[in-house]
Amino acid sequence: MKNLIQEFFKGIVKENPTFVLALGLCPTLAVSISISNAIGMGCAATFVILFSNIIIASIKDFIPDKIRIPCYIVVIATFVTITELVMKAYFPPLNRALGIYVPLIVVNCIVLGRAEAFASKNSVMASLFDGVGMGAGFTLALTLISAIREFLGAGKLCGLTVIPGFEPALIIGMPSGALLVIGLLLGFFNLLKEKAK
Amino acid sequence: MDNTLNISASPHLHARESTGRTMWLVTAALLPAGIAGVCIFGPAALKTILIAVLSAVAAEWAIQAAMKKKVTICDGSAALTGLLLAYNLPAHCPFWIPVTGSFIAIAIGKQIFGGLGQNIFNPALVGRVFLMASWPQYMTTFSRALSYDAVTQATPLALLKENKLFDHISYLGLFMGNRGGCIGEVCVAALVIGGIFLLLRKIITWHIPVSYIVTTGLFCWAFGANTPFAGDWMFHLLSGGLFLGAIFMATDYVSSPLTGRGQLIFGAGCGLLTAIIRIWGGYPEGVSYAILIMNAAAPLIDRYTKNRIYGTK
Amino acid sequence: MNATQFLVIFISNVFIYNVILSRFLGLCSFIAISKQTKPALAMSLAVVFVTTMSSIITWLIYRFLLIPFNMTYLRTISFILVIAAFVQLVEMIIRKIAPPLYCFFGIYLPLITVNCAVLGVAVLNSDMYFGAETPILASFVYSAFQGICVGLGYTLAMLLMSAIRERIETCDIPKAMKDFPIGFIIASIMSMAFMGFNGFRF
Repeated sequence: MKNLIQEFFKGIVKENPTFVLALGLCPTLAVSISISNAIGMGCAATFVILFSNIIIASIKDFIPDKIRIPCYIVVIATFVTITELVMKAYFPPLNRALGIYVPLIVVNCIVLGRAEAFASKNSVMASLFDGVGMGAGFTLALTLISAIREFLGAGKLCGLTVIPGFEPALIIGMPSGALLVIGLLLGFFNLLKEKAK
Repeated sequence: MDNTLNISASPHLHARESTGRTMWLVTAALLPAGIAGVCIFGPAALKTILIAVLSAVAAEWAIQAAMKKKVTICDGSAALTGLLLAYNLPAHCPFWIPVTGSFIAIAIGKQIFGGLGQNIFNPALVGRVFLMASWPQYMTTFSRALSYDAVTQATPLALLKENKLFDHISYLGLFMGNRGGCIGEVCVAALVIGGIFLLLRKIITWHIPVSYIVTTGLFCWAFGANTPFAGDWMFHLLSGGLFLGAIFMATDYVSSPLTGRGQLIFGAGCGLLTAIIRIWGGYPEGVSYAILIMNAAAPLIDRYTKNRIYGTK
Repeated sequence: MNATQFLVIFISNVFIYNVILSRFLGLCSFIAISKQTKPALAMSLAVVFVTTMSSIITWLIYRFLLIPFNMTYLRTISFILVIAAFVQLVEMIIRKIAPPLYCFFGIYLPLITVNCAVLGVAVLNSDMYFGAETPILASFVYSAFQGICVGLGYTLAMLLMSAIRERIETCDIPKAMKDFPIGFIIASIMSMAFMGFNGFRF
């Protein structure tokens, strides 16, 4: 059980998909402009990663190595379609806000990345915890980046203006600014890691 | 025997004093353009210049102190970055524009790469494009020349981009600076004086300015008008920030190639990109973007134009 | 079909709307593999191969399968499966002919499957060169060529980035910023420079 808990926390800090593994960057740049978008996308992605991991870990012994990538894609695409339909039915405003990035979870590097690197080589339970951990790490990273970008790039937090008269730096709301924010955040976390040693 | 090997990126700057001397000489060469800018745009220009320079020096002091490195504000490079940034700003921008720009220029454009001699991109230009993308409304509002209030006047290139260039501005007017624009870019005469000074003192070589300006002129002559080879190349050479960019910004040692051949390629690339953006791009002026893109290509250019070491194939 | 259109496709995809620096697709492998030139070029070659071949096959599928049977809503899924098959093929080839390179790429080779640039150009082709569900004139040739050019644009960005990162290897970068952080910062500045091409009109 201790190992499983470790798998969970690994996804949040040590092997955070955004900050350490540099995966899932395309949706990160596009979606992390407001906190509500970030949390919504994070939950959707967590659902997909979790269930793809579980299914792929269950059937890994039956998939021939030579066609494993297309097989993983079929599994992932199935869960993305489920997510998309559930969102359209029960969360229409979020679905509108995230737009094409919901179906694009299929090409979110994190999902295929964890399937290939972990679920195809480990037990179902371990893959479950890994999936939840990675999803949580991704959500936390997205939320942190969005908070900074929403404040500096749009002058708001959760849609509310915080400081009246503050002129936001529009570049932060654009992908170039996102790269800058991620780079500086990553450097800051590395610094904290150094100090902790 | 002392076996420690000292590895560092080129150019190898050994004596602090000679770095400082070079920086202050370049600053001196830039003074005529600054004086002209203040004469043309008034006290607001002086205020912007001073704020930019002081912020840049303060930023470098703060960052180097925080990183526990030796504070090198006396070598003049931070002041020079601040000065060049100010020359790329409109005279009447709010005070926090030069402050933010200088901070970004020093922090992201220079210190994060390790400090003097190690940056890939021209720091002042990094600051400028950051400002341009963040607060475009303040960066594209220019004041009328020779009236010291904040009445706005579009630059000649902006008018050209919108097809509103009805009155022909005399070339002499463009050369002396009787037009809207950034503080340091309008008076081409002052920039040329500074450039000749730098060439005579062998601080810069002719390769980059000449290849840059000639390429822009040729391309604008060939494609700048509706019929080929009928472009108003003199207008294009004297408008916008071309001379400021070609003489003072593209020639920055650290972010441009080492060999003469590489510098010619670099200057030609800058000229080509500037002309392309001016003629077909969405922005009226392309000098900053052109130089930054070529800065990115400079390591690649260096790799293929480096002088062969004697004895190897 | 005219020659200027090919020139326009080439210049747009390689320089003006560069797939990495202007469209921000394919960033994961860009940041991770661009530290040295040789692996960067090898990855670029793999990507060019995959974008070209998948542009061709996805065009055929869209034209002869999805449109006639009114299944265009399956576009994303079917395109991804085609790309996945090709990446599997490339992976098998590289494993055979260059095992050390295969080990070096690690997870980023199968990740070409989900490289947004590859799916991006397939979707772009079907948007640009099919008007109201029928292909425009010379659609196939334009699509295939655009696939090549997007790959070349990826190569250009990788070349520039790897030359820069090799040069800063000997620089005094703060320890916390080495590797990925400075890579992100450089990518940020490069993409700000490429913003100069916004609003381009031929």
